[in-house]
Amino acid sequence: MQIPETLQNAVDELSKLPGIGKKTAFRLALNILKSDDDKVKSLVLALEGLKSKLHLCKNCFNLSEDDECDICRSNKRDKSIICVVEEVSDVIAIEKTNEYSGTYHVLGGVLNPLMGVTPESLKINELMVRLNNITIKEVILALNPDTEGETTALYLAKRIKEMDIKVTRIARGLPIGGDLEFADEATVGRAVLGRIVI
Amino acid sequence: MILSSVQLKNFRSHRNTEINFSGNINYITGGNGQGKTTLLESIYYLCTTKSNIAKADSDVVCFNEENFEIKGSFNNSINNEVRIYYSAEENKKYYFKNDKQVFRAAEVIGQFPVVLLTPADHAITQGSPSDRRKFIDSVISQASETYLKNLLDYNKTLKQRSQLLSRLKEQKQFFYTTELEAWTEKLVAAGSEIIKARKRFCKEFNRFIAESYNVIMESDEIPGVAYNYLDGSGTDEIEKLFSDMLSQKKDEELRRASNLIGPHRDDFIFSINDLNLKTFGSQGQHKTFQVVLRFAEFFYLKEMTNRVPIFLLDDVFGELDINRSSKISSYLSKVGQAFITLTDFTNLSYLQKEEDDLILYVSKGNVSYGT
Ligand SMILES: [Zn+2]
Repeated sequence: MQIPETLQNAVDELSKLPGIGKKTAFRLALNILKSDDDKVKSLVLALEGLKSKLHLCKNCFNLSEDDECDICRSNKRDKSIICVVEEVSDVIAIEKTNEYSGTYHVLGGVLNPLMGVTPESLKINELMVRLNNITIKEVILALNPDTEGETTALYLAKRIKEMDIKVTRIARGLPIGGDLEFADEATVGRAVLGRIVI
Repeated sequence: MILSSVQLKNFRSHRNTEINFSGNINYITGGNGQGKTTLLESIYYLCTTKSNIAKADSDVVCFNEENFEIKGSFNNSINNEVRIYYSAEENKKYYFKNDKQVFRAAEVIGQFPVVLLTPADHAITQGSPSDRRKFIDSVISQASETYLKNLLDYNKTLKQRSQLLSRLKEQKQFFYTTELEAWTEKLVAAGSEIIKARKRFCKEFNRFIAESYNVIMESDEIPGVAYNYLDGSGTDEIEKLFSDMLSQKKDEELRRASNLIGPHRDDFIFSINDLNLKTFGSQGQHKTFQVVLRFAEFFYLKEMTNRVPIFLLDDVFGELDINRSSKISSYLSKVGQAFITLTDFTNLSYLQKEEDDLILYVSKGNVSYGT
């Protein structure tokens, strides 16, 4: 039987998502097809909302529904400490631990010459502006302990060193070569507490 | 660790082969091109997920077939069933341990240590520095997961740094940017770990080389391996020496856009009584040294991993005299389980065959048991 074009389109779009193969996409599409209209509508709204309502915080580049994110706006957070991470998912991983009360800075990746990622393509200059504008006591580098993450930490340490700000790196409690977002909460929490000066 | 059986399906000339092995020495006999070496290759596959001969998995699929499969039973304190399945259509290889799929090769390497002696080993003592590095790296990696990870980290750093050097050259920036400084620092950190580990290894490995050499050669000559890269007053100096060398070569690296300093460009020196084997060794000395290195690897891995490696010997007696061959064969009986191919059947008469050893005849991909 020929698969209807509308179904085929949905399957194609779904299977573009990471970790979703053709088979899973097909199952998802059929599942959506069987669901009530209300359910489908709220799914569509939720997906659209991701793009229309969420922005990057102008300060730390975390996800936010406003110009500035909840963390940057909160008066309970210590604005003199910045934790530098690769991706938004890392902010979520560290927030889950409840061990950290400073602010964040999301780089949007790590240095990777082979993939064409240069210091200019990351939010590094924006970080330097933040460090210049307000009094910062400490910068915590919480990058993945892989080749590129470690080199990016070395790079940032060099740039910040001139500014007389304490730079620490989270301790190696993390599996080498592993992604921060996949580590269990206890490990991430321990790693943040056990940070070291570099 | 004992490999008690293998099953091959569509693996080169073996369409359907099932063999139960001896826990001692397995002599694999047969004419050229009958599938003897293929048996060793299949065992190597089981232990490492890779072929020691073929560059691509598709090369070993039996003619006109779509897939191959290798199954093996390893008996230790616990039994492990290992299965490799390759599908040509997907060009994908699946590795299963006890029916559970294993996704990362790093989880398998070192689990079933294996030592392989083949005629291609001539490159270790007679070939280029990269052949020697490959040998040393494979021995240390099987004993140390940390070393394997450091090596992967260093190789990645090399690639990234050389790409960055190319970009700077294109942009005509012939000076160190902060970005290049960071990659250089990473190169020194990762590379120094490699150099230190290789230095420690060579010191340690000399003991194993000497032991094996004395048994096989029955002489009191002193064999050895030396590694003199970035030799300074102490190991804590290596980072500094490495950095200094890099700043000396700074301009040349920028001009040539290439990594000129580091453990990817070093070499090891094999010697007998302090005479460099590469310069002074006879053909016979080279051959025995290669055999000695594999025995040393075997005993080194056994001590470091607390596991008895499986020993594979491909056509080792071809270039050796009767006296040496008989020494090696009696040495082998101390090893544990070994698999050894023989082209010349008359060899068997002077080898030290024990009661529990097994003789297998291979002919056109079919295997039969002998006595
Ligand atoms: Zn923010």
